Amino acid sequence: MRTLLLATFLTGCAHQAGPPGLQIWAHEGRESERQVLTAQVERFQHEHSGPPLHLTFLPEGNYNSQVQAAALAQKLPDVLEFDGPLLYRYVWQGCLQPLETQLKQSTLDNLLPSIQKQGSFRGHLYSLGAFDSGLGLYGRKSLIRQAGARLPKSPDEAWTAAEFTQLLENLAREDTDGQVLDLKLNYQGEWFTYAFSPALASAGTDLSHLESPAASQVLNTIQGWNEQGRVDANVDDAAFLTGRVALSWVGHWEYPRYASRWGDDLCLLPLPNFGHGTRSGQGSWNWAVTTACQPSGRAVEFLEFLLQDEQVLEMSDANGAVPATRSAIARSKLYGANGPLRLFSNQLLQGWTAPRPRTPAYPLMTSVFQQTMQDVLHGAPVDQVLGQAAAEIRQDDLDNQGYR
Amino acid sequence: MRDGLVAALACVYLLPIATLFGGSLAQDGLGNYGSVLQRIDFLTLLCNSLVISGFTVGIGTLINSMAGYALARTTFPGRQAALAVVLLCMVIPFEAVAVPLFYAVSREGLRDTLSMQILPFVANGFSIYMFYTFYLDFPRELEEAARLDGAGPWQIYSRVALPNSKPALATNAVITLLSSWSAYLWPLLVTAGPQARPLSLAIATFLATPPLHWGQIFAFGVLMVTPVLLLFLRLQRHFQPNALTSGIK
Amino acid sequence: MMQRPAWWMLIPAALGLLVFVVVPFVCSFGMSFTDLALGSPHPVRWVGFQQYQRLAADPSVARALTNNLIFAVVITPLQTALALFLACVLNRPGWRLGGFYRSLFFAPVVFPMSLVAVIWRYLYAPGASGAFNQVLNALSLGHWQPRDFLHDPQLALPSLMLLSIWQGVGLQMVLLLAGLQQIPADLYEAAALDGSSPLLRFRFVTLPMLRNTLIFTALMTTILAFRVFDQVQILTHGGPAGATTTLMFELVRSAFERLQMGRACALTVVFVIIVVVLTGVQRFLLRQKSL
Repeated sequence: MRTLLLATFLTGCAHQAGPPGLQIWAHEGRESERQVLTAQVERFQHEHSGPPLHLTFLPEGNYNSQVQAAALAQKLPDVLEFDGPLLYRYVWQGCLQPLETQLKQSTLDNLLPSIQKQGSFRGHLYSLGAFDSGLGLYGRKSLIRQAGARLPKSPDEAWTAAEFTQLLENLAREDTDGQVLDLKLNYQGEWFTYAFSPALASAGTDLSHLESPAASQVLNTIQGWNEQGRVDANVDDAAFLTGRVALSWVGHWEYPRYASRWGDDLCLLPLPNFGHGTRSGQGSWNWAVTTACQPSGRAVEFLEFLLQDEQVLEMSDANGAVPATRSAIARSKLYGANGPLRLFSNQLLQGWTAPRPRTPAYPLMTSVFQQTMQDVLHGAPVDQVLGQAAAEIRQDDLDNQGYR
Repeated sequence: MRDGLVAALACVYLLPIATLFGGSLAQDGLGNYGSVLQRIDFLTLLCNSLVISGFTVGIGTLINSMAGYALARTTFPGRQAALAVVLLCMVIPFEAVAVPLFYAVSREGLRDTLSMQILPFVANGFSIYMFYTFYLDFPRELEEAARLDGAGPWQIYSRVALPNSKPALATNAVITLLSSWSAYLWPLLVTAGPQARPLSLAIATFLATPPLHWGQIFAFGVLMVTPVLLLFLRLQRHFQPNALTSGIK
Repeated sequence: MMQRPAWWMLIPAALGLLVFVVVPFVCSFGMSFTDLALGSPHPVRWVGFQQYQRLAADPSVARALTNNLIFAVVITPLQTALALFLACVLNRPGWRLGGFYRSLFFAPVVFPMSLVAVIWRYLYAPGASGAFNQVLNALSLGHWQPRDFLHDPQLALPSLMLLSIWQGVGLQMVLLLAGLQQIPADLYEAAALDGSSPLLRFRFVTLPMLRNTLIFTALMTTILAFRVFDQVQILTHGGPAGATTTLMFELVRSAFERLQMGRACALTVVFVIIVVVLTGVQRFLLRQKSL
């Protein structure tokens, strides 16, 4: 999820012949993720004989710049992994081939609706992931009850924004420094778009309509929490862990740490409802096949393999993310019917999530919005900042002739 | 009183450094170093950095001091223009030429090499200007003596000027080394795998995925600065008053 | 004076500069008149001065320019003075503590800016437990309100300046030290024999002999003040609300985050022009003399 600092500057996505076989690029995530993927590649080769697979890991921090550089040098691999929202720009530049005609129907139907939505653009499916992400509010049951609030059991029971603001005040009364909410302000970059654009969706608007009253209301509310002193700066990334705050607005990856610290006192709740129902985030690393990969049969076979239940579950165990297929979710300990993180899978299955804007303008939009959120969270006048952001996005759209 | 002031400043200076070294032992103690070494292929990255910086400094110091000397000592038409160009190059930041260079390097398929991390930085406006300044102030008597003995320009340079330029050479070496060692943007753009990647990029690995493990981050920082620190401590002796000033009598 | 040119000694460096600096810059210059967007499948169009017009009308760019000027105007004299002070104090041959101090003050220069930024992010932590807040609290005997240095519109830029000075003084100090050591000892002896005080010796022996080195280091610091980037990128990302944006930051952001290459190239050209003018002015005011 880190930095869309360098997004694509592909000017020609032809493929230069490398060693024979399939070239696969993946991001160098956590050790466990890497090990699982390496093992999966070997397993695939073992079970499906044919041209060899060459897996290369590129560091996550500058992964996207590597992809662009390779495209420029006409050395894109056959199979490419990338952070979901970048898909649309790659498609606009003509680098990827559609997959929906090449995958089995059963595979397609088994995919999470969120993954299908994320991976589709202009009528075709171009990418899919082996996992998706979950975003929500972790909380301390004891403290919330003490503050007199109800505990939402499902997305439709989510607190309204007003309820949430009131809850923060109630919690603050019992708290030593009045800071009761962790928004991961210490994170950098893409987090701000990922975490807060769902709030816009919850208010019925989105990144393309930043000048709407709804957007203004959402950002004013969030800014209010900060101005009242309810938000912890989280420099040590441990506000929730050490008990300084009662609520933490973050994703699935924090579950292991939080669960081992708070055990039964930990609860997972949907994000506040800003008017049109709660909305949460989605999207993570996706796989796609480049146009240079001809014939693409083996590449597609590989993707189908990655989507088998065993493979999906193995990866989910390694990185803690939400499995991408319904069948795998059903079998997952964390995300299944009685799993502690079923809120995440339910949100994705039932459509409570909003994908980040599916447009080739995404790199600019997210850069602008990250700036906006940062400014808002540090006291800048909301309407002014939103106006500037909207103007920049509009200008970029004009400059690129509407990204036709 | 002067000494007191210096001592106070030293304390201020020490704070961040102490944070770095002390912080590297936080949370997991020496285990931080172990974790860091496990997470990244430290030796390969270190070797790459050493090779890149070594050649950049070595070749760069030579050709830049030659150029600075020539500019300081030679009159030729266009000397002022050449100086102006050097100044201009000093001013043009690397970021300004990074993208066109990147295009060119990518198109030629020269990415992921060590040489492309060395060559663009060998000729350097700052260095040339620094040597130019140094040689302007350089007393001419020794060179005159050599010329009277019949030595040609190159010999005068290599046998007389260069050996007595230790402070400037050492300073230039240090400056070049530092900027080369901490180069970030360019290696980011032109390297892919760990074969050609320098050490400076590895900090991204620790800052990328949350949660931030400060102990490891600081441990990596220590590992990254220690080689250069040690090198500088060794080069210290060249900053002592040299024989030059007494040689003039 | 060598009449017979040793000019061929210029060639290797000149070649390097030509290929790796001049030619790419000329390309940047050319690209600044286009609407080049990286990776766009649309053909590139010539747009004349449009990019420059937009820059002129853009408040972020104006802010960036202001910030760079503030940096240069504040840091150059402060850092140079501090470096000179330290260099003079440390210029005692045989003083054992001198070696230690020299290493200490130079050490920060060895740290890559990315690392310096990370360390200072930790030090500038907001809240009462942040190191800086604690120190200031102790110094003010408990009257200090904890501040969020990097996100406070007034404190953000000074905070960045402080860490830049911390990192930069050592280098200037070492350069000035080298210059000081070039000054022949007999000049000082002669002045001392004439009965002048240390202060007079400083004014009439040290300063003139250091003149060229001082000019060089001051110029270098000024140029570097305009190239400030790493700490802005890592610590504040131009915020809060543009309080710490700089020209280089705007440039890199335009080029690599927003993919607006034409605009980034225009920024490059503007940047180079500004710095050329400034250094021209500085050189004119402090004419450099050769011996």
